[in-house]
Amino acid sequence: MSALGFDNAWLLLLLVLAALPLFASPLRLSAVPSDDVIPDDPLSSAVGAALTALGVIAIAALALGLAGLHRRDQIIERRGVGANVVLLIDRSSSMDSTFANRSPEGKEESKSVAARRLLTDFSARRAADRVAVAAFSTAPMPIVPMTDHHDAVRAAIAAIDRPGLAHTDVGRGLALAFSMFDDASSETSRALVLVSDGAAVIDRRVQDALRDAARRDPVRLYWLFLRTQGSKGIYDKPAPGEADIPQVYPERHLDIFLKSLDLPYRAFEARSAQEVSAAIREIDQLEQRPTTFKETIPRQDLDWLCYLVAAIASGLLLAGKLMERRLDDGALDGSAASRRLAGAS
Amino acid sequence: MKRPDWRTLAVGGAVLLSAVAAMQPEITAERATYEIISFVDITGSMNARDYGSKGAPQSRIDAVKERLPAAIGRLPCGSRAGLGVFSERRVFLLFEPMDVCRDFAAIEGAIRGLDWRMAWEGDSRIASGLQNAIEMAAPVGADVVFVTDGHEAPPIRADMDQRFEIDKERTKGLLVGVGGTHPVPIPKYDDFGRESGFFSMSDVPQASRIGPPPEGAETLPGYNARNAPFGEMPEGDEHLTSVKEDYLRRLAGETGLGYARLGEPKALAEAIAAGAKPRPIEVPVDLSSIPAAAALLALAALYGAPLVAGLRRPRPAAQGVA
Repeated sequence: MSALGFDNAWLLLLLVLAALPLFASPLRLSAVPSDDVIPDDPLSSAVGAALTALGVIAIAALALGLAGLHRRDQIIERRGVGANVVLLIDRSSSMDSTFANRSPEGKEESKSVAARRLLTDFSARRAADRVAVAAFSTAPMPIVPMTDHHDAVRAAIAAIDRPGLAHTDVGRGLALAFSMFDDASSETSRALVLVSDGAAVIDRRVQDALRDAARRDPVRLYWLFLRTQGSKGIYDKPAPGEADIPQVYPERHLDIFLKSLDLPYRAFEARSAQEVSAAIREIDQLEQRPTTFKETIPRQDLDWLCYLVAAIASGLLLAGKLMERRLDDGALDGSAASRRLAGAS
Repeated sequence: MKRPDWRTLAVGGAVLLSAVAAMQPEITAERATYEIISFVDITGSMNARDYGSKGAPQSRIDAVKERLPAAIGRLPCGSRAGLGVFSERRVFLLFEPMDVCRDFAAIEGAIRGLDWRMAWEGDSRIASGLQNAIEMAAPVGADVVFVTDGHEAPPIRADMDQRFEIDKERTKGLLVGVGGTHPVPIPKYDDFGRESGFFSMSDVPQASRIGPPPEGAETLPGYNARNAPFGEMPEGDEHLTSVKEDYLRRLAGETGLGYARLGEPKALAEAIAAGAKPRPIEVPVDLSSIPAAAALLALAALYGAPLVAGLRRPRPAAQGVA
């Protein structure tokens, strides 16, 4: 793909017209039967050639402009500081209640609305990121593949406060998120951000698959746990005599499992929107690695430039035309001789 | 004062006209754009293979994944498209509308990523899903494009009518029917997502068991007041599937949506444009080609006229001398 393009390439046929000045002159015909009667004059020939060239340029430029000459949009690679981030977002229906575990009323924000607001800020601040978004609830769902387009990420994040589904299948969600890093995301700058308000037992088979994935595609792992009032936290330990099993303490055991993956891992427990904001800011600061991302330079129309060239060329032509003098005009030097010549004819 | 030479006028005109063209005169015109959210049915019957050519069958969902992005890509720039999925009796919004030109890669990638495995329940109650989709799209102000084969599972009861609680006047959009008219079997998958044959007649409910039993159920064969209030399950062909066009047309009529069968992307894009609410946006229209064409005409006449004249008469004179 070349850098220049035409909207209507068939109009380039008009370029044939640019040959016309080679065969005809804009100047008036003279009654002199042959220019052999005039002595050779290098200056005159040069001026004649220049006028021809101006005509060719003017017509060719107009033809190019009419064909819609433009520079195509170009994708350039830029280096920046950011990360390749997969956002894995819990869309279970518990996300639609507040941190106090109520239905939001008045100015209260549900967990999903808070997450939406803060994640939108996060992605808006980080221009050099490539981001993919996935959701999980009863089933894992890929939403937007890894992209440089932040509008797309914003639209995906905008949907997270819409009604969610029943369950929280975090294991398969993580497996999906691991698979969403593409080849273009350099290995040193991959981050997986899990945003959830609860955890669940991860199937033994899914655990094995996750361990494989973690070994194959190492990422930095963040778990942003939106803790609801009255629910168990990541660091709650079972009372003596109580069974320490994932069915009773899913958050604690998810944390233990994620630690066991042997990846750089941080868990943030947030009980309010302010704490979520602080956690996101910390992730923001931690994820500053060199990345390459693509930026699109939009197409640029060049037809105005063509028309400008045509205007200048034909302007010079006009100047030439206005300076045209004829033997029979009588204006040449205003000499009596030529006046007499005119009178005789 | 001598009358100026016409050739001088032609060159002067060309100068003026090209200068005007270079200043890029433009007017604003209105162009219709659309804002839609496509909800794609990902229930089991969408795995039935009745698209593609002989020897290379294509499932309904794969046909949607191929044609829907192409159709969305044909909508005029400035249009926006979102995506959701339908299963059970409700829809799930994946993303809100985004620009179909700038973010096309993301839209296309997301639609190609759709999979029946994303479904959360096995039922397929299309009328409820459609109602839910219209409610879901309303706060965004987008129109619904609901892509489904119309196969209700379990089948709807003929003796209970459906009501849509929507504002029919303000609901716009399109219902897209997917599938062939000839009934085909529905593939069945095991717990690990591997295909394990097709559904047979006894695998799926052949009649609805929702709600109280209909009047006169006592006379049905196999009736038992406690164990079989509906009588025994009748025989039927609910395990086969074809596009239920009559049903979809009726749903479209009741909700105020348009109806179209999933065809080639071009036809689908036209159907979306016809069904959805056009949103005029102002776009600049470049007028510079008009003076530029006139300038070209002037120059062509300037140079062409002597040639034409020369063809008519035998060469009368030499070229002018400056």
